[in-house]
Amino acid sequence: MNGKIEVEHLSKTFKKGDVQAVKDVSFTVEDGEFFAFLGPNGAGKSTTVQILTTLINATGGKATVAGHDVIREPEKVRRYIGVALQETGVDPDLTGRELIELQANIFGFSKTEAKKRAEELLKIVQLTDSAERRIGNYSGGMRRRLDLALTLVNEPKILFLDEPTTGLDPSNRMAIWKELRRLNEENGTTIFLTTQYLEEADSLAHRISIINDGEIVATGTPRELKAQIGNDLIALTFSSKEEEEKAERILKEHMDPSDVILQNGKLTVYVEDGTKQLLELVRLLDQENIEVATVNLSSPTLDDIFLKITSEQAEKEGEVHGE
Amino acid sequence: MGNSVWKDTWLITLRSIKTTLRNPFSFIPNLMISAFFLLVYEGGLSGISQLPMFEGANYLAFILPVSIVSAAIGGAGGAGQGIVKDIENGFFSRLLLTPASRLAIVLGPIIAGMLQLFIQTLLIIGIAFLLGLEVETGFGGILFVLLIAIGWGLAFAGYSAGVALRTKNAQAAQAGTFIFFPLIFLSTTFVPYELIEAQWLKVAATINPTTYIFESMRTVLIDGWIFWDLMQGVIAIVIACTITITFAAVSAKKAVSRG
Repeated sequence: MNGKIEVEHLSKTFKKGDVQAVKDVSFTVEDGEFFAFLGPNGAGKSTTVQILTTLINATGGKATVAGHDVIREPEKVRRYIGVALQETGVDPDLTGRELIELQANIFGFSKTEAKKRAEELLKIVQLTDSAERRIGNYSGGMRRRLDLALTLVNEPKILFLDEPTTGLDPSNRMAIWKELRRLNEENGTTIFLTTQYLEEADSLAHRISIINDGEIVATGTPRELKAQIGNDLIALTFSSKEEEEKAERILKEHMDPSDVILQNGKLTVYVEDGTKQLLELVRLLDQENIEVATVNLSSPTLDDIFLKITSEQAEKEGEVHGE
Repeated sequence: MGNSVWKDTWLITLRSIKTTLRNPFSFIPNLMISAFFLLVYEGGLSGISQLPMFEGANYLAFILPVSIVSAAIGGAGGAGQGIVKDIENGFFSRLLLTPASRLAIVLGPIIAGMLQLFIQTLLIIGIAFLLGLEVETGFGGILFVLLIAIGWGLAFAGYSAGVALRTKNAQAAQAGTFIFFPLIFLSTTFVPYELIEAQWLKVAATINPTTYIFESMRTVLIDGWIFWDLMQGVIAIVIACTITITFAAVSAKKAVSRG
Protein backbone atom coordinates (compact mmCIF):
# COMPACT_ATOMS: atom_id res chain seq x y z
CA MET A 1 0.00 0.00 0.00
CA ASN A 2 1.40 3.35 -0.98
CA GLY A 3 0.29 6.92 -0.76
CA LYS A 4 0.50 7.63 -4.46
CA ILE A 5 -2.07 9.34 -6.67
CA GLU A 6 -1.98 8.67 -10.40
CA VAL A 7 -4.33 10.47 -12.72
CA GLU A 8 -4.47 9.87 -16.47
CA HIS A 9 -6.60 11.85 -18.91
CA LEU A 10 -9.28 12.44 -16.34
CA SER A 11 -12.36 14.30 -17.49
CA LYS A 12 -15.79 15.05 -16.14
CA THR A 13 -18.75 16.42 -18.02
CA PHE A 14 -21.87 17.20 -16.03
CA LYS A 15 -25.05 16.25 -17.81
CA LYS A 16 -26.80 19.28 -16.41
CA GLY A 17 -25.95 22.17 -18.68
CA ASP A 18 -23.36 20.03 -20.48
CA VAL A 19 -20.53 21.61 -18.50
CA GLN A 20 -17.06 20.16 -18.94
CA ALA A 21 -15.63 20.77 -15.48
CA VAL A 22 -12.43 18.74 -15.89
CA LYS A 23 -10.72 18.38 -19.26
CA ASP A 24 -8.14 15.66 -19.87
CA VAL A 25 -6.19 16.18 -16.67
CA SER A 26 -3.11 14.05 -15.97
CA PHE A 27 -0.71 14.22 -13.04
CA THR A 28 1.06 12.08 -10.47
CA VAL A 29 1.51 12.76 -6.78
CA GLU A 30 4.29 10.71 -5.20
CA ASP A 31 4.06 8.93 -1.87
CA GLY A 32 4.76 11.48 0.85
CA GLU A 33 4.53 14.49 -1.41
CA PHE A 34 2.73 17.72 -0.55
CA PHE A 35 0.93 18.68 -3.72
CA ALA A 36 -1.27 21.69 -4.38
CA PHE A 37 -3.92 22.34 -6.98
CA LEU A 38 -4.07 26.05 -7.45
CA GLY A 39 -6.85 27.79 -9.32
CA PRO A 40 -9.68 30.28 -9.19
CA ASN A 41 -13.29 29.48 -8.32
CA GLY A 42 -14.86 27.14 -10.85
CA ALA A 43 -11.53 25.92 -12.21
CA GLY A 44 -12.39 22.26 -11.60
CA LYS A 45 -10.51 21.77 -8.33
CA SER A 46 -13.42 20.49 -6.27
CA THR A 47 -14.66 18.25 -9.07
CA THR A 48 -11.24 16.63 -9.27
CA VAL A 49 -11.22 16.10 -5.50
CA GLN A 50 -14.71 14.59 -5.62
CA ILE A 51 -13.64 12.13 -8.30
CA LEU A 52 -10.44 11.14 -6.50
CA THR A 53 -12.30 10.66 -3.22
CA THR A 54 -14.98 8.42 -4.81
CA LEU A 55 -17.89 10.84 -4.37
CA ILE A 56 -18.54 11.15 -8.10
CA ASN A 57 -17.49 9.19 -11.15
CA ALA A 58 -15.32 10.56 -13.93
CA THR A 59 -16.72 10.54 -17.44
CA GLY A 60 -13.34 9.73 -18.93
CA GLY A 61 -9.82 8.69 -18.00
CA LYS A 62 -8.43 6.78 -15.08
CA ALA A 63 -7.36 7.52 -11.52
CA THR A 64 -5.59 5.39 -8.96
CA VAL A 65 -5.44 6.43 -5.32
CA ALA A 66 -3.34 4.45 -2.82
CA GLY A 67 -2.97 1.73 -5.43
CA HIS A 68 -6.70 1.30 -6.05
CA ASP A 69 -8.83 2.38 -8.97
CA VAL A 70 -11.29 5.04 -7.75
CA ILE A 71 -14.04 3.87 -10.05
CA ARG A 72 -13.76 0.10 -9.67
CA GLU A 73 -12.60 -0.16 -6.04
CA PRO A 74 -14.10 2.81 -4.21
CA GLU A 75 -14.47 0.86 -0.92
CA LYS A 76 -10.74 0.17 -0.80
CA VAL A 77 -9.84 3.75 -1.64
CA ARG A 78 -12.07 5.05 1.18
CA ARG A 79 -10.11 3.09 3.79
CA TYR A 80 -6.83 4.80 3.04
CA ILE A 81 -7.85 8.37 2.51
CA GLY A 82 -8.96 11.26 4.68
CA VAL A 83 -11.07 13.94 3.09
CA ALA A 84 -11.99 17.45 4.15
CA LEU A 85 -14.41 18.94 1.66
CA GLN A 86 -14.97 22.63 1.16
CA GLU A 87 -18.08 22.47 3.34
CA THR A 88 -17.43 20.86 6.69
CA GLY A 89 -19.41 17.69 7.34
CA VAL A 90 -20.38 17.63 10.98
CA ASP A 91 -23.55 16.80 12.89
CA PRO A 92 -24.35 19.87 15.01
CA ASP A 93 -26.29 17.86 17.59
CA LEU A 94 -23.36 15.71 18.67
CA THR A 95 -20.42 16.80 20.77
CA GLY A 96 -16.97 16.95 19.23
CA ARG A 97 -15.89 13.88 21.13
CA GLU A 98 -18.98 11.87 20.16
CA LEU A 99 -18.52 12.65 16.51
CA ILE A 100 -14.86 11.60 16.43
CA GLU A 101 -15.71 8.40 18.29
CA LEU A 102 -18.53 7.67 15.85
CA GLN A 103 -16.21 8.23 12.90
CA ALA A 104 -13.65 5.89 14.50
CA ASN A 105 -16.31 3.24 15.11
CA ILE A 106 -17.40 3.46 11.50
CA PHE A 107 -13.80 2.84 10.47
CA GLY A 108 -13.88 -0.35 12.55
CA PHE A 109 -12.20 0.81 15.77
CA SER A 110 -13.30 -0.90 18.96
CA LYS A 111 -14.95 1.21 21.69
CA THR A 112 -11.72 1.59 23.67
CA GLU A 113 -9.63 2.32 20.59
CA ALA A 114 -12.16 4.92 19.44
CA LYS A 115 -12.05 6.68 22.82
CA LYS A 116 -8.27 6.75 22.73
CA ARG A 117 -8.17 8.03 19.18
CA ALA A 118 -10.70 10.77 19.99
CA GLU A 119 -8.58 11.92 22.92
CA GLU A 120 -5.46 12.11 20.73
CA LEU A 121 -7.14 13.93 17.90
CA LEU A 122 -8.91 16.44 20.14
CA LYS A 123 -5.53 17.34 21.55
CA ILE A 124 -3.98 17.69 18.10
CA VAL A 125 -6.65 20.10 16.86
CA GLN A 126 -6.80 21.84 20.26
CA LEU A 127 -10.43 21.10 20.98
CA THR A 128 -10.01 19.14 24.21
CA ASP A 129 -11.61 21.95 26.21
CA SER A 130 -14.68 22.02 23.95
CA ALA A 131 -14.93 18.28 23.46
CA GLU A 132 -18.09 17.96 25.55
CA ARG A 133 -19.90 20.84 23.87
CA ARG A 134 -22.31 20.36 21.01
CA ILE A 135 -20.82 21.17 17.63
CA GLY A 136 -23.72 23.50 16.90
CA ASN A 137 -22.11 25.92 19.36
CA TYR A 138 -18.66 25.78 17.75
CA SER A 139 -17.23 28.72 15.80
CA GLY A 140 -16.38 28.33 12.12
CA GLY A 141 -12.69 27.84 12.90
CA MET A 142 -13.46 25.20 15.53
CA ARG A 143 -15.70 23.31 13.12
CA ARG A 144 -12.95 23.37 10.53
CA ARG A 145 -10.45 21.97 13.02
CA LEU A 146 -12.91 19.28 14.10
CA ASP A 147 -13.50 18.44 10.45
CA LEU A 148 -9.74 18.02 10.05
CA ALA A 149 -9.65 15.73 13.10
CA LEU A 150 -12.39 13.59 11.50
CA THR A 151 -10.35 13.20 8.34
CA LEU A 152 -7.41 11.94 10.41
CA VAL A 153 -9.30 9.27 12.36
CA ASN A 154 -8.22 6.35 10.15
CA GLU A 155 -4.59 7.54 9.93
CA PRO A 156 -4.95 8.08 6.19
CA LYS A 157 -2.05 7.53 3.83
CA ILE A 158 -3.40 10.30 1.66
CA LEU A 159 -5.15 13.43 2.77
CA PHE A 160 -7.42 15.39 0.42
CA LEU A 161 -8.18 18.93 1.47
CA ASP A 162 -10.47 21.09 -0.61
CA GLU A 163 -9.75 24.71 0.24
CA PRO A 164 -9.20 23.92 3.91
CA THR A 165 -8.55 27.49 4.98
CA THR A 166 -11.05 29.45 2.88
CA GLY A 167 -12.89 31.87 5.11
CA LEU A 168 -10.69 31.30 8.16
CA ASP A 169 -9.07 33.97 10.27
CA PRO A 170 -5.25 34.07 10.27
CA SER A 171 -4.79 32.27 13.58
CA ASN A 172 -6.97 29.34 12.57
CA ARG A 173 -5.30 29.28 9.18
CA MET A 174 -1.86 29.12 10.77
CA ALA A 175 -2.98 26.31 13.10
CA ILE A 176 -4.14 24.26 10.12
CA TRP A 177 -1.00 24.98 8.11
CA LYS A 178 1.14 23.87 11.03
CA GLU A 179 -0.76 20.63 11.44
CA LEU A 180 -0.63 19.84 7.71
CA ARG A 181 3.13 20.39 7.64
CA ARG A 182 3.55 18.16 10.66
CA LEU A 183 1.45 15.37 9.12
CA ASN A 184 3.43 15.54 5.93
CA GLU A 185 6.87 15.72 7.54
CA GLU A 186 6.45 13.46 10.57
CA ASN A 187 3.96 10.89 9.33
CA GLY A 188 4.87 10.97 5.66
CA THR A 189 1.21 11.54 4.75
CA THR A 190 0.69 12.41 1.12
CA ILE A 191 -1.29 15.64 0.91
CA PHE A 192 -3.40 16.83 -1.99
CA LEU A 193 -4.57 20.34 -1.28
CA THR A 194 -6.61 22.70 -3.37
CA THR A 195 -6.49 26.40 -2.81
CA GLN A 196 -7.23 29.76 -4.31
CA TYR A 197 -4.50 31.32 -2.21
CA LEU A 198 -1.14 31.48 -3.90
CA GLU A 199 0.72 32.11 -0.69
CA GLU A 200 -0.81 28.95 0.75
CA ALA A 201 0.40 26.79 -2.13
CA ASP A 202 3.75 28.59 -2.12
CA SER A 203 4.38 28.09 1.56
CA LEU A 204 3.10 24.51 1.92
CA ALA A 205 3.47 22.55 -1.29
CA HIS A 206 6.47 20.77 -2.78
CA ARG A 207 4.86 20.89 -6.16
CA ILE A 208 1.98 22.87 -7.63
CA SER A 209 -0.30 22.41 -10.60
CA ILE A 210 -2.12 25.46 -11.76
CA ILE A 211 -5.60 24.61 -12.98
CA ASN A 212 -7.79 26.96 -14.91
CA ASP A 213 -11.04 26.25 -16.68
CA GLY A 214 -10.71 22.49 -16.15
CA GLU A 215 -7.19 22.20 -17.52
CA ILE A 216 -3.76 22.03 -15.93
CA VAL A 217 -1.86 24.96 -17.38
CA ALA A 218 1.43 24.66 -15.50
CA THR A 219 3.11 22.28 -13.07
CA GLY A 220 6.31 22.57 -11.08
CA THR A 221 7.89 23.42 -7.79
CA PRO A 222 7.13 26.95 -6.63
CA ARG A 223 10.66 27.91 -7.67
CA GLU A 224 10.33 26.37 -11.13
CA LEU A 225 7.03 28.08 -11.72
CA LYS A 226 8.48 31.42 -10.77
CA ALA A 227 11.49 30.89 -13.03
CA GLN A 228 9.20 29.95 -15.91
CA ILE A 229 7.99 33.49 -16.34
CA GLY A 230 11.25 35.36 -16.27
CA ASN A 231 13.43 36.39 -13.41
CA ASP A 232 12.12 39.86 -12.78
CA LEU A 233 8.97 41.78 -12.93
CA ILE A 234 8.46 45.46 -13.59
CA ALA A 235 5.24 47.09 -12.50
CA LEU A 236 4.31 50.48 -13.95
CA THR A 237 1.46 52.83 -13.23
CA PHE A 238 0.33 55.90 -15.14
CA SER A 239 -1.65 58.98 -14.36
CA SER A 240 -4.35 58.39 -16.98
CA LYS A 241 -6.19 55.54 -18.62
CA GLU A 242 -5.20 56.66 -22.14
CA GLU A 243 -1.56 56.55 -21.21
CA GLU A 244 -1.95 53.12 -19.69
CA GLU A 245 -3.46 51.74 -22.84
CA LYS A 246 -0.98 53.47 -25.09
CA ALA A 247 1.94 52.15 -23.04
CA GLU A 248 0.52 48.65 -23.21
CA ARG A 249 0.25 48.86 -27.00
CA ILE A 250 3.77 50.14 -27.43
CA LEU A 251 5.37 47.60 -25.12
CA LYS A 252 3.49 44.77 -26.78
CA GLU A 253 4.95 45.87 -30.13
CA HIS A 254 8.47 45.82 -28.75
CA MET A 255 8.45 42.53 -26.86
CA ASP A 256 6.62 39.22 -26.52
CA PRO A 257 3.00 40.40 -26.05
CA SER A 258 2.30 37.69 -23.51
CA ASP A 259 4.90 39.25 -21.21
CA VAL A 260 2.89 42.45 -20.93
CA ILE A 261 -0.25 42.45 -18.85
CA LEU A 262 -2.49 45.37 -17.99
CA GLN A 263 -4.78 44.74 -15.08
CA ASN A 264 -6.46 47.03 -12.55
CA GLY A 265 -4.49 50.06 -13.59
CA LYS A 266 -1.17 48.27 -13.27
CA LEU A 267 1.00 47.36 -16.24
CA THR A 268 3.09 44.30 -15.42
CA VAL A 269 6.06 43.38 -17.60
CA TYR A 270 7.98 40.11 -17.23
CA VAL A 271 11.68 40.46 -18.10
CA GLU A 272 14.93 38.51 -17.97
CA ASP A 273 17.10 41.17 -16.42
CA GLY A 274 15.19 43.77 -14.51
CA THR A 275 17.84 46.40 -13.82
CA LYS A 276 18.96 46.55 -17.44
CA GLN A 277 15.54 46.44 -19.07
CA LEU A 278 13.91 48.86 -16.65
CA LEU A 279 15.89 51.73 -18.11
CA GLU A 280 15.12 50.69 -21.68
CA LEU A 281 11.45 50.52 -20.90
CA VAL A 282 11.27 53.95 -19.33
CA ARG A 283 13.31 55.43 -22.17
CA LEU A 284 11.01 53.86 -24.74
CA LEU A 285 7.92 55.27 -23.08
CA ASP A 286 9.57 58.65 -22.69
CA GLN A 287 10.19 58.80 -26.44
CA GLU A 288 6.45 58.37 -26.94
CA ASN A 289 5.73 61.13 -24.46
CA ILE A 290 4.14 58.81 -21.94
CA GLU A 291 4.68 59.85 -18.39
CA VAL A 292 5.29 57.04 -15.94
CA ALA A 293 3.77 57.66 -12.49
CA THR A 294 5.40 54.85 -10.50
CA VAL A 295 7.87 52.09 -11.24
CA ASN A 296 8.44 49.01 -9.18
CA LEU A 297 10.99 46.26 -9.77
CA SER A 298 10.52 42.92 -8.00
CA SER A 299 10.84 39.15 -8.22
CA PRO A 300 7.68 37.42 -9.34
CA THR A 301 5.43 35.75 -6.79
CA LEU A 302 3.07 32.91 -7.55
CA ASP A 303 0.42 35.57 -7.79
CA ASP A 304 2.13 36.96 -10.84
CA ILE A 305 2.51 33.55 -12.42
CA PHE A 306 -1.12 32.93 -11.87
CA LEU A 307 -2.07 36.26 -13.39
CA LYS A 308 0.14 35.66 -16.39
CA ILE A 309 -1.04 32.14 -17.11
CA THR A 310 -4.72 32.88 -16.73
CA SER A 311 -4.49 36.02 -18.87
CA GLU A 312 -2.63 34.09 -21.58
CA GLN A 313 -5.42 31.56 -21.54
CA ALA A 314 -8.09 34.21 -21.76
CA GLU A 315 -6.26 35.74 -24.71
CA LYS A 316 -6.05 32.41 -26.51
CA GLU A 317 -9.73 31.87 -26.02
CA GLY A 318 -10.46 35.38 -27.17
CA GLU A 319 -8.69 34.59 -30.46
CA VAL A 320 -10.64 31.39 -30.90
CA HIS A 321 -13.95 33.04 -30.22
CA GLY A 322 -13.04 36.07 -32.29
CA GLU A 323 -12.58 34.08 -35.46
CA MET B 1 -10.74 -2.74 9.36
CA GLY B 2 -14.38 -2.16 8.48
CA ASN B 3 -17.72 -3.31 9.82
CA SER B 4 -20.62 -5.43 8.70
CA VAL B 5 -23.73 -3.74 7.34
CA TRP B 6 -25.42 -4.49 10.67
CA LYS B 7 -22.74 -2.81 12.73
CA ASP B 8 -22.82 0.26 10.47
CA THR B 9 -26.61 0.40 10.60
CA TRP B 10 -26.52 0.07 14.39
CA LEU B 11 -23.96 2.89 14.75
CA ILE B 12 -25.78 5.26 12.45
CA THR B 13 -29.20 4.48 13.91
CA LEU B 14 -27.93 5.07 17.41
CA ARG B 15 -26.61 8.44 16.38
CA SER B 16 -29.95 9.36 14.74
CA ILE B 17 -31.78 8.49 17.95
CA LYS B 18 -29.40 10.65 19.96
CA THR B 19 -29.95 13.52 17.54
CA THR B 20 -33.74 13.19 17.81
CA LEU B 21 -33.68 13.13 21.60
CA ARG B 22 -31.54 16.26 21.67
CA ASN B 23 -34.13 18.11 19.60
CA PRO B 24 -37.30 17.58 21.60
CA PHE B 25 -39.12 20.08 19.42
CA SER B 26 -38.76 17.70 16.51
CA PHE B 27 -41.33 15.36 18.12
CA ILE B 28 -43.17 17.22 20.90
CA PRO B 29 -45.50 19.26 18.62
CA ASN B 30 -46.63 16.17 16.76
CA LEU B 31 -47.16 14.29 19.98
CA MET B 32 -49.25 17.19 21.30
CA ILE B 33 -51.40 17.29 18.18
CA SER B 34 -52.01 13.57 18.42
CA ALA B 35 -52.92 13.81 22.10
CA PHE B 36 -55.12 16.80 21.24
CA PHE B 37 -57.24 14.67 18.90
CA LEU B 38 -57.84 12.26 21.70
CA LEU B 39 -58.53 14.71 24.51
CA VAL B 40 -60.43 17.40 22.68
CA TYR B 41 -62.56 15.35 20.31
CA GLU B 42 -63.32 12.79 22.95
CA GLY B 43 -64.39 15.62 25.27
CA GLY B 44 -66.17 17.72 22.66
CA LEU B 45 -67.67 15.31 20.14
CA SER B 46 -68.28 12.15 22.09
CA GLY B 47 -72.00 12.99 22.25
CA ILE B 48 -72.42 12.14 18.58
CA SER B 49 -71.71 8.52 19.33
CA GLN B 50 -75.26 8.39 20.67
CA LEU B 51 -76.35 8.45 17.01
CA PRO B 52 -77.63 5.11 15.77
CA MET B 53 -74.91 4.86 13.07
CA PHE B 54 -72.34 4.43 15.81
CA GLU B 55 -74.21 1.34 16.96
CA GLY B 56 -73.41 2.10 20.56
CA ALA B 57 -69.66 2.38 19.99
CA ASN B 58 -67.53 4.33 22.41
CA TYR B 59 -66.32 7.55 20.73
CA LEU B 60 -62.93 7.25 22.42
CA ALA B 61 -62.30 3.98 20.58
CA PHE B 62 -63.61 5.60 17.41
CA ILE B 63 -61.27 8.64 17.56
CA LEU B 64 -58.20 6.76 18.85
CA PRO B 65 -57.10 5.55 15.36
CA VAL B 66 -57.02 9.19 14.17
CA SER B 67 -54.72 10.05 17.02
CA ILE B 68 -52.54 7.00 16.37
CA VAL B 69 -52.25 7.62 12.64
CA SER B 70 -51.34 11.25 13.33
CA ALA B 71 -48.61 10.12 15.75
CA ALA B 72 -47.38 7.48 13.32
CA ILE B 73 -47.17 9.85 10.37
CA GLY B 74 -45.43 12.47 12.47
CA GLY B 75 -42.90 10.01 13.82
CA ALA B 76 -42.19 8.56 10.40
CA GLY B 77 -41.76 12.06 8.99
CA GLY B 78 -38.79 12.34 11.34
CA ALA B 79 -36.95 9.92 9.06
CA GLY B 80 -37.04 12.30 6.12
CA GLN B 81 -36.20 15.29 8.26
CA GLY B 82 -33.18 13.49 9.70
CA ILE B 83 -31.89 12.70 6.22
CA VAL B 84 -32.40 16.24 4.92
CA LYS B 85 -30.59 17.65 7.92
CA ASP B 86 -27.62 15.38 7.27
CA ILE B 87 -27.52 16.36 3.62
CA GLU B 88 -27.74 20.07 4.40
CA ASN B 89 -25.02 20.15 7.01
CA GLY B 90 -22.67 18.01 4.92
CA PHE B 91 -22.67 15.07 7.30
CA PHE B 92 -24.23 12.86 4.62
CA SER B 93 -21.18 13.45 2.39
CA ARG B 94 -18.88 12.86 5.33
CA LEU B 95 -20.51 9.45 5.81
CA LEU B 96 -20.30 8.69 2.09
CA LEU B 97 -16.54 9.29 2.32
CA THR B 98 -16.15 6.55 4.93
CA PRO B 99 -16.27 2.84 4.17
CA ALA B 100 -19.69 2.69 5.88
CA SER B 101 -22.32 0.65 4.07
CA ARG B 102 -24.37 2.88 1.76
CA LEU B 103 -27.49 1.06 2.89
CA ALA B 104 -26.72 1.84 6.54
CA ILE B 105 -26.31 5.54 5.81
CA VAL B 106 -29.88 5.75 4.49
CA LEU B 107 -31.40 3.15 6.79
CA GLY B 108 -30.13 4.67 10.05
CA PRO B 109 -32.44 7.72 10.08
CA ILE B 110 -35.36 5.63 8.81
CA ILE B 111 -35.04 3.09 11.62
CA ALA B 112 -34.74 5.91 14.14
CA GLY B 113 -37.91 7.46 12.70
CA MET B 114 -39.73 4.15 12.99
CA LEU B 115 -38.67 3.84 16.59
CA GLN B 116 -39.94 7.34 17.28
CA LEU B 117 -43.25 6.34 15.70
CA PHE B 118 -43.47 3.20 17.83
CA ILE B 119 -42.92 5.10 21.07
CA GLN B 120 -45.35 7.87 20.13
CA THR B 121 -47.99 5.31 19.28
CA LEU B 122 -47.47 3.52 22.60
CA LEU B 123 -47.81 6.83 24.45
CA ILE B 124 -51.06 7.65 22.66
CA ILE B 125 -52.50 4.23 23.42
CA GLY B 126 -51.41 4.72 27.03
CA ILE B 127 -53.26 8.03 27.24
CA ALA B 128 -56.36 6.40 25.73
CA PHE B 129 -56.30 3.76 28.43
CA LEU B 130 -56.04 6.46 31.07
CA LEU B 131 -59.15 8.03 29.54
CA GLY B 132 -60.98 4.76 29.98
CA LEU B 133 -60.46 2.95 26.69
CA GLU B 134 -61.95 -0.50 26.40
CA VAL B 135 -60.85 -2.77 23.61
CA GLU B 136 -63.17 -5.42 22.24
CA THR B 137 -60.35 -7.75 21.19
CA GLY B 138 -58.15 -7.13 24.23
CA PHE B 139 -54.35 -7.29 24.17
CA GLY B 140 -54.22 -8.97 20.78
CA GLY B 141 -56.23 -6.09 19.36
CA ILE B 142 -53.77 -3.56 20.74
CA LEU B 143 -50.91 -5.48 19.11
CA PHE B 144 -52.79 -5.45 15.82
CA VAL B 145 -53.35 -1.70 16.10
CA LEU B 146 -49.63 -1.21 16.78
CA LEU B 147 -48.71 -3.32 13.76
CA ILE B 148 -51.03 -1.32 11.54
CA ALA B 149 -49.57 1.92 12.90
CA ILE B 150 -46.03 0.72 12.18
CA GLY B 151 -47.00 -0.47 8.71
CA TRP B 152 -48.69 2.79 7.86
CA GLY B 153 -45.78 4.70 9.39
CA LEU B 154 -43.33 2.71 7.29
CA ALA B 155 -45.23 3.69 4.17
CA PHE B 156 -45.03 7.32 5.21
CA ALA B 157 -41.35 7.00 6.22
CA GLY B 158 -40.62 5.68 2.73
CA TYR B 159 -42.41 8.67 1.28
CA SER B 160 -40.68 11.25 3.48
CA ALA B 161 -37.23 9.68 3.05
CA GLY B 162 -37.79 9.53 -0.70
CA VAL B 163 -38.73 13.21 -0.87
CA ALA B 164 -35.74 14.10 1.32
CA LEU B 165 -33.24 12.15 -0.77
CA ARG B 166 -34.65 13.47 -4.01
CA THR B 167 -34.93 17.16 -3.14
CA LYS B 168 -32.06 17.36 -0.61
CA ASN B 169 -33.77 20.47 0.64
CA ALA B 170 -35.38 21.11 4.02
CA GLN B 171 -38.16 23.34 2.72
CA ALA B 172 -39.19 20.82 0.10
CA ALA B 173 -39.14 18.00 2.63
CA GLN B 174 -41.18 20.12 5.00
CA ALA B 175 -43.67 20.92 2.25
CA GLY B 176 -43.86 17.21 1.51
CA THR B 177 -45.21 16.56 5.00
CA PHE B 178 -48.30 18.65 4.26
CA ILE B 179 -49.75 15.57 2.67
CA PHE B 180 -50.43 14.79 6.33
CA PHE B 181 -53.52 17.02 6.29
CA PRO B 182 -55.48 15.53 3.39
CA LEU B 183 -54.44 12.05 4.54
CA ILE B 184 -55.83 12.61 8.01
CA PHE B 185 -58.80 14.86 7.39
CA LEU B 186 -60.26 13.79 4.03
CA SER B 187 -61.39 10.54 5.52
CA THR B 188 -63.77 9.03 8.04
CA THR B 189 -61.89 11.06 10.61
CA PHE B 190 -64.69 12.19 12.89
CA VAL B 191 -67.75 10.29 11.74
CA PRO B 192 -68.44 6.95 10.06
CA TYR B 193 -68.63 6.77 6.28
CA GLU B 194 -72.42 6.60 6.33
CA LEU B 195 -72.63 9.94 8.10
CA ILE B 196 -70.51 11.86 5.60
CA GLU B 197 -72.94 14.11 3.73
CA ALA B 198 -70.79 15.97 1.20
CA GLN B 199 -70.35 13.87 -1.93
CA TRP B 200 -66.80 15.16 -2.58
CA LEU B 201 -65.70 14.13 0.90
CA LYS B 202 -67.21 10.70 0.34
CA VAL B 203 -65.18 10.35 -2.85
CA ALA B 204 -62.03 11.59 -1.12
CA ALA B 205 -62.55 9.20 1.78
CA THR B 206 -62.97 6.31 -0.63
CA ILE B 207 -59.70 7.12 -2.42
CA ASN B 208 -57.77 7.95 0.73
CA PRO B 209 -55.94 4.85 1.95
CA THR B 210 -56.06 6.20 5.50
CA THR B 211 -59.78 5.44 5.54
CA TYR B 212 -58.98 1.72 5.36
CA ILE B 213 -56.40 2.08 8.11
CA PHE B 214 -58.98 3.80 10.33
CA GLU B 215 -61.58 1.18 9.54
CA SER B 216 -59.39 -1.80 10.30
CA MET B 217 -58.22 -0.27 13.58
CA ARG B 218 -61.80 0.57 14.57
CA THR B 219 -62.87 -2.93 13.76
CA VAL B 220 -60.52 -4.51 16.28
CA LEU B 221 -61.09 -1.79 18.84
CA ILE B 222 -64.88 -1.77 18.64
CA ASP B 223 -66.31 -4.76 16.78
CA GLY B 224 -63.91 -7.67 17.11
CA TRP B 225 -61.89 -9.91 14.78
CA ILE B 226 -63.71 -9.52 11.49
CA PHE B 227 -61.26 -10.87 8.95
CA TRP B 228 -62.10 -8.89 5.79
CA ASP B 229 -62.58 -5.63 7.65
CA LEU B 230 -59.09 -6.03 9.06
CA MET B 231 -57.60 -7.07 5.74
CA GLN B 232 -58.55 -3.83 4.02
CA GLY B 233 -56.05 -2.02 6.26
CA VAL B 234 -53.38 -4.62 5.64
CA ILE B 235 -53.90 -4.42 1.88
CA ALA B 236 -53.75 -0.62 1.93
CA ILE B 237 -50.45 -0.84 3.80
CA VAL B 238 -48.94 -3.40 1.45
CA ILE B 239 -49.83 -1.32 -1.60
CA ALA B 240 -48.67 1.97 -0.08
CA CYS B 241 -45.42 0.49 1.26
CA THR B 242 -44.60 -1.07 -2.09
CA ILE B 243 -44.97 2.28 -3.80
CA THR B 244 -43.23 4.52 -1.26
CA ILE B 245 -40.39 2.16 -0.40
CA THR B 246 -39.61 1.67 -4.07
CA PHE B 247 -39.63 5.45 -4.42
CA ALA B 248 -37.31 5.76 -1.41
CA ALA B 249 -34.96 3.06 -2.69
CA VAL B 250 -34.71 4.61 -6.15
CA SER B 251 -34.11 8.06 -4.64
CA ALA B 252 -31.54 6.64 -2.22
CA LYS B 253 -29.70 4.89 -4.98
CA LYS B 254 -29.53 8.14 -6.87
CA ALA B 255 -28.39 10.09 -3.82
CA VAL B 256 -25.49 7.77 -3.01
CA SER B 257 -24.56 7.05 -6.63
CA ARG B 258 -21.59 8.73 -8.17
CA GLY B 259 -23.05 9.56 -11.58
